This record gives sequence, C-alpha cells and structure tokens, in this order.
Amino acid sequence: MASRRGVGLGAFANRTQATQSYATHGANLRSTHTSSLQTQLSVFQSLLHTFALEHSSTIKSNPTFRAEFARMCNVIGVDPLAASNVKGKNGRKGPGDSTSFWTQIMGGDMNDFYFEVAVRVVELCRETRSENGGLLGVEECRKRVGKGKAIGSGLEVTDDDVLRAVKSLEPLGSGFSIILVGNKQYIRSIPKELNTDQSTVLEAIQVLGYVTVSMLQINLNWEKARAQTVIDDLLADGLVWVDLQCPEKEYWSPQNLLGDGDEG
Amino acid sequence: MTTTTTTTTTTTTRFPFPLRYSFPAFFSLQPNSNTRAVQFKHWSKLIQSWCRHHRIYKISLVEATKSPLFRNSELRKRLSLSDARTVLDWMSKGEEEGGGGKRAEWVDGGKSVVWVWWRRPEEWAEVIGEWVESTGQKNVVLTVYELIEGEATISQEWHGMDTEVMFRSLNVLVKQGKAQIFGSEGQEGVKFF
Repeated sequence: MASRRGVGLGAFANRTQATQSYATHGANLRSTHTSSLQTQLSVFQSLLHTFALEHSSTIKSNPTFRAEFARMCNVIGVDPLAASNVKGKNGRKGPGDSTSFWTQIMGGDMNDFYFEVAVRVVELCRETRSENGGLLGVEECRKRVGKGKAIGSGLEVTDDDVLRAVKSLEPLGSGFSIILVGNKQYIRSIPKELNTDQSTVLEAIQVLGYVTVSMLQINLNWEKARAQTVIDDLLADGLVWVDLQCPEKEYWSPQNLLGDGDEG
Repeated sequence: MTTTTTTTTTTTTRFPFPLRYSFPAFFSLQPNSNTRAVQFKHWSKLIQSWCRHHRIYKISLVEATKSPLFRNSELRKRLSLSDARTVLDWMSKGEEEGGGGKRAEWVDGGKSVVWVWWRRPEEWAEVIGEWVESTGQKNVVLTVYELIEGEATISQEWHGMDTEVMFRSLNVLVKQGKAQIFGSEGQEGVKFF
C-alpha cells in the first residue's frame, strides 16, 4: 500500500482509511489487553477472596498471620483498608464497588477490628498525653492495647496492626501520625513537629536512659546554649521529665510509665 | 511472693509500688504545669494506696519523708519535705479548685500532720451504714470501741480505725439522721436507725 505513491484525490481517501484502520486496530488491541487484564484481576480477586474466606478466622485471631496477609495485600497493591466511604450508588457489584476490601470479604469484621484498635489507640494517647507530651511508643501502645482495661477486653495485636489503625485515622484529619526517632516508632498525637535536634536528643535518651546538658555537649559536640535550648523545649512540651536530685540535672523520658496505675 | 500469711492482714504483705516509683524524675516536681498536674495525680494515687495498704489514716510529713513512701532507697531519690507538702496541699484542695478532690486534710495549721482520705468520712459513713444494714443491726446499740475493735468487724476495712476518723464518719450518719451517739467520753455508744 505504502509502495504506491498515491496520486490524485483518491490518495486522500486512502490516507484517511489507513489512519482509521490503525486507530481501530489500536483500540482493539487495547480492549483485548484490558479485558484480559480484567479477567486476570477478577480471577486473582476471587482467589484472594476464597483465600481470605477460607482463612478468615485465622486472619482475625492470629496477629502474625494477619500481618503477613496484610503485607501480601500491600505487595500486590491492594490496600485492605482503602475504604472510600462512597457506597456504590447504583448498588451494582463489580470492580467499581467502592466498599473496602476487608468489608467485601469479611463482612465488615475486619474494618471494625481496625477501628476498634484505632479507638483504643486514641484513648490511650489522650490518657497519657499530659504525661508524655503526646509521644507514645508504638510498642508500648501495642502492649497496652493487648492488655485491655476490662476483663477479657484485650486485643492481641501486632505493631503492624497499630500502625494500620493509626493510618485508618488519617481521613479524619485527626493529627495522629507515626514518627521515627532513631529506630523506634512513635505515635504523635499532637500535631507538632519535632526538629532534628529534638529528635536527636530523644534518640540519645532512648539509648542512654537519660541525658544531661554536658552529656549532649560532649557526645554531640553541641554548644551549651544549643543543648540547653533543646532540652528546655522538650521539657516545655512535656516530652521529658527532669530529675533535680543529681549533681547535674538529668532528663528522662516518661515512655516506660505507660499502663501503670492508669487502672483503678 | 508472700504466700504464707494470706489471711490475716494485708499490712504484712509488701506494698506493690507502681512503676513510677522507679522513675527517678518522679521524685522531683516538674516545672511544666501540665506534666506537674499528672505528677500530682499519680503521687496522690500512690499516697492513698500506700496508706490504704498499711491502714494509715494520718501521716506526719517529717516521718513520712523518711519512710519508703517518699523515699526510694534503691534509687536514692526522695520527695523533699516541701515538695511532699506541695503534693498534699494539692490533694487537700477540691477538684473545682484545681486540686486532687479533697483527698487530704491538714490536721494542724503548721502543715506537718495530715489526714489522708483514701476514704473520706462521708464514704466511710456509707460503708458503715451498709454494713449495719446488711448485718441487721438497725436499732441495735453498739459501742464505738466494739465497732472499731470488735470481732464482728474484723473482716471490715475500717477495723482498727483511728478513733477520730470513726467519730467523724459516725457524725456524718448522725447528721443524716441515721445514727445517734451517746455516752460519756471514752465510752460512747452508737445506735443506728
């Protein structure tokens, strides 16, 4: 076709035809792709569905298994918590159905589970806020949630569950976030950023148990004023406690006091 | 741990100190007002449960600052006399005044001896009233001594109670018209209605 140089008016018609058939062909290819992908996806979804249903009790009861399952979902790009709250307007089931994955396969139990965890996390953060300045270790939080307040109300959860629960609070604009100090994760329940110096000091406390101004000066090579300022800020935010009964003031983190005497 | 003497009194068992007791900074009053408020709360809780455990109703501050309550010999930290006074002052104020709900009361103006109300007299009155009711002792005359030291009250939490606290509690009942106190000093009797 292309070998013959089109002349005359017919050439125009030919060219249009060619473009058109390219376009149709492209569209065809695309739709085949899409449909095959859709089939794959739906096959996969149904498999995942079956899997989840088959193991639903294990997922609910076994925190390690649950974490692994959630991780698997994450890897393949399914966010189990992605619950856009728009209920399917036309009530049609299908890929467009926008209830959360967990809800679809577990009948809402799983979402409820994370919301329950989230509620406890929020409670805990509020309870302890004035003592720890709104910084709560994920690990401590997990332990506390695991204990529960009333008899039999403990939820066996993993750190991963706690993180997921905090994440599920995001749409509420709650100001709860996860921050990393050193290699330890914290839930920050006061929307205030820690600057680098403050994080550094908190990290030092994690490692050493406590710090003093001169310890900071020596170890971090900071000037006295800088060390003092950072400490004073942390103290003002309630993130550290001061022990005055020492040759030099010692600053301690109240992180380990959690879950003690809060009951009764 | 101490399982040998389980039944007699709790005073023989060791007081289970909370985690905070091992937190060095707990023994210094915190400069941050929010933090300090929580600290007061926890001290109040600790003092009350300590007194309850040992059935103590009244403490002398000077002595208390030498006792394990305010002095952690392991950490070598202690709540100083003036800090202890600050804590108890806070406890003695009502919640509406930003205090600890009247869980303490100074015995003297010099603030050296203090009642610790792990139960306030009104609360005791209620407990005693319930006991009278449940044991069917309405319209029965009991001596105050009996009430405090008698065999019938051994199982009750107020057994061996400070006499003055007992009178204050009974007086609450009197005011409510639920009891009457009579007799001469040292030999008072009480009748419940």
